[in-house]
Amino acid sequence: MDALLDFWAAYGSTVVFAMINAFFALSTYAVLSTGVLSFTTVVFAAVGGFLAAQTVGHLQISIHLSFLLAAIGGGLAAAVVAVAFLKLDSHWMALASLALVLITRVVSLNAPILTGGVNGLVVPLRVDPIEVAILLAVVTFAFYRLHNSWYGLASRAVREDPAVASTMGIPPRRIQFVAFVISGVVGGIGGAALAFTLQFLSPETYFIGIAFTMIASAVLGGSFHWFGPVVGAFVFTALPVMMQAFVPQIEDVAKGVALLLIMIFMPRGLIDPRAVRLRRAARLRHKQERAVNA
Amino acid sequence: MHLFLEQFVNGWALGSLYALFGIGFGLVFSTLGILNAAHGTYASWAAIVGYYAVVWLNVPFPVAIAVGVLAGGVLAIVVDQIGFQPLRAKKAGLLGALITSIAFWIILDSLAGFATQQQSLAFPASTYPNRMVAVGPVMVPQMQIITILALIICAVGIYLLIQKTRIGAAMRAVGWNEVAAGLGGVNARVVILLTAFLAGATSGLAGVLGGIATSNVSFTLGEGLLLKGFAAVVVGGFDDVRGTAIAGICLGIIEVFVGQYVSTAMRDGVTYALLLLFLILRPRGLFGSTSFLRA
Repeated sequence: MDALLDFWAAYGSTVVFAMINAFFALSTYAVLSTGVLSFTTVVFAAVGGFLAAQTVGHLQISIHLSFLLAAIGGGLAAAVVAVAFLKLDSHWMALASLALVLITRVVSLNAPILTGGVNGLVVPLRVDPIEVAILLAVVTFAFYRLHNSWYGLASRAVREDPAVASTMGIPPRRIQFVAFVISGVVGGIGGAALAFTLQFLSPETYFIGIAFTMIASAVLGGSFHWFGPVVGAFVFTALPVMMQAFVPQIEDVAKGVALLLIMIFMPRGLIDPRAVRLRRAARLRHKQERAVNA
Repeated sequence: MHLFLEQFVNGWALGSLYALFGIGFGLVFSTLGILNAAHGTYASWAAIVGYYAVVWLNVPFPVAIAVGVLAGGVLAIVVDQIGFQPLRAKKAGLLGALITSIAFWIILDSLAGFATQQQSLAFPASTYPNRMVAVGPVMVPQMQIITILALIICAVGIYLLIQKTRIGAAMRAVGWNEVAAGLGGVNARVVILLTAFLAGATSGLAGVLGGIATSNVSFTLGEGLLLKGFAAVVVGGFDDVRGTAIAGICLGIIEVFVGQYVSTAMRDGVTYALLLLFLILRPRGLFGSTSFLRA
């Protein structure tokens, strides 16, 4: 028990940030799994985060209610973004979403009533790590259920080939719209969790840094399975901490090198259902060959 | 009127930097199909190498520029061969290359921080042309004239290279379809190396010139150029050098004018709002071709 407490004292904040990054990675995965590369999770997180912070600060509502509001706010923002973005080609959408992230920072700098402007915004409440863990478990379970539902099947078809999917009676645009809304809800929750953990929001909080963290987490963990983003977020968040233990001088460089090596040797991510199936098939074939030879 | 003209030239010079950087960034995106997050660091490193060439070796100004440009190009080749080539062989697509480019961005950015001791360095004033030249009624710093000319020469040169020469045809063919280009007798590997070098060198030139003009040689140099150059590429249409050049200049002029006549806080806001407007209303940009396909 003591060992556990020591671990928590030393690495507690890393675990909390890993859980928050897991929300962001899942939000990115939600759109990625329908074949859309989008950085807009940052925007939804900003909407959720500032909404939660302001409602708790000014309306004195409970932290749980503000999480709900953040989820709804993120979802609504995502619906608006999706209507505008789904008309674009995939490459353009990636670029447009990056542009939207840049605009988010400009807006939060120039709307001090909503965001505190340059001075930032102090968040009066703090969320219990246990509650973040429970919330993450619920969200992950929802992704597991979605993965095995008709929607999950349809989203994989859309990702592989939208033209073929639509001949099968799957409306690709509608699936991608739903994906955006899911991404918005999860992103909003993640943004609120970040707000209640940092307890201080500045225009730099929701910016390029998060955009690259979340996309790296999602792809690193594996963007073909619902559990991949969670694993990726934990690995990506823990990397700098581990590197600091081994090579404190060049921890950032080491983090980059680790990311590079993983991507070069495992381009489909750490959790890859296809690799598992291929291994299983190879083992089966091996067994059959042996049976024939014997 | 005097102020207007002065700011116009300021904006033009600033926009020329964005456009120079954007040409390199767009070249990689349209020919190699890579959204390269590490591209800004090429500019930072070109400026840093140029700076140390001046400070340690006392080389003259043109040599410092050449050394910086070369450094940008070589760095681009190294990143391409280590980070992108293995994924190209595995057909991992846009996503995999984006992640390795993020990895290189982290690595090169933090190494650049070490190289400058986390400070912002400035080229010594005696090492580059820093006099004012009278052009009509306004006085223009020599560096701004050099920057403006550099963009015009590079844009025209690269445009002619891509559109009128055999090498350019090969580059466009590889951008369209690597395998088909190979069947047509193009050595795709060489074309990719050449494109990477050209892209890195152009952005490196933007880095060195920008580092001198803004007296800021540090890892933040590349990041600023990356965001604005990216805007220039999208507004101009990323498969056309002319579009990037014109859009970059316009963005620079708009940015300076908004800062001068509207409000300094809105400088970046107007640029990015314009960017989003273009993406939604005219996604192919000013000069972009109608059907851009890359499976």
